[in-house]
Amino acid sequence: MSLGVFVSDYKLSSDTLERLDPGKTGVILVLNGVWHALLKESGKASSLLDRFSKVYALSEDIETRGMLPAQVDGRVKVVNYDGLVDVVFNEFEKIAWL
Amino acid sequence: MGAITMGVYPGLVGSASYDFAIKFAGAAAKKGHKVSMWFSGNATGSVKAHQKHLKDYSTGEKYLTELLAAGVEVCTCEACTVARGVQKTESIEKIQWNAMHWYLARIHSADRVLLIGGE
Amino acid sequence: MGDVKCAFIVQKPQYKGETSRLAMTHALAYQTVEILLEDGDTVTPSLCFVGEGVLGITKGQKAMDIYGITSSESHLKNCLLVDLDVYVCKEDLDKFGISVDQLPDAEEMGAEKTINVVPFSEIAKKMDEAKHVLFF
Repeated sequence: MSLGVFVSDYKLSSDTLERLDPGKTGVILVLNGVWHALLKESGKASSLLDRFSKVYALSEDIETRGMLPAQVDGRVKVVNYDGLVDVVFNEFEKIAWL
Repeated sequence: MGAITMGVYPGLVGSASYDFAIKFAGAAAKKGHKVSMWFSGNATGSVKAHQKHLKDYSTGEKYLTELLAAGVEVCTCEACTVARGVQKTESIEKIQWNAMHWYLARIHSADRVLLIGGE
Repeated sequence: MGDVKCAFIVQKPQYKGETSRLAMTHALAYQTVEILLEDGDTVTPSLCFVGEGVLGITKGQKAMDIYGITSSESHLKNCLLVDLDVYVCKEDLDKFGISVDQLPDAEEMGAEKTINVVPFSEIAKKMDEAKHVLFF
């Protein structure tokens, strides 16, 4: 996949992510971005998970917030820092932080 | 093994993005990747030596020293740093001081570039 | 290694945070990077303004008069003067009601390049073509 985008916020202040081609873009949830993988606001999972087929979340940032990787939406692959390095080098041609 | 160049702009205290950058750099270096870090904006305040590590606040010095010892290259934007009142003589040892073209040069040789912008 | 193309995407408005301004000053450094590279190696940034990033780049800025800092308008003109390619998203200008003639040029400084107002699809193309994408 071409571009791996780090998402570090839950409520995005930018609409850039919505404009990126989901066919070429994957998402890496870190810091408060991990809430996308965990919450079901009004019973509904984050629309980001519907839009992008390749989504990763950082286990350390999940656990820092008192949550468990087991609570993560099944569409999200949980990785630790070590695994995240491999994701960055092996799963995407380029990366960006929104 | 690959090479990653990280641009780090958020401040040491008040942004967990800085802590993320440090931990990610350490993980990449541990796996044998070449890691170059460029500090700009508020991140440059973190190059000052003799930081007191109060546990309610993030600390840069302890982890930066470890990164430098592990072979991570760290360079601070000189203009950004002196604008914050930090002089080269007060800097953590082995941190390089240079201008923005240093960052672009490391981008040139990198396999991956991660710019973590400031808030 | 030759030329490395980078897409600098400015998505934050000018003046509150520093990041959006740093996009321009870092892009300007492409002129001097060669001193640190091998012969024939270059870095070529495309500077693209999208979303709220189109705010604070219009002409007539008085940041120097009021806050004593170089205006973003001035940085932008310098980018044009050194022949950087600058793109501004048309849909976002339209969305915020900013007309093309409110954007500065650097003709009086002798710049040959002007700002390119383009649809987002063109900016997406720049991101595809670039080896690295940096969001500011």
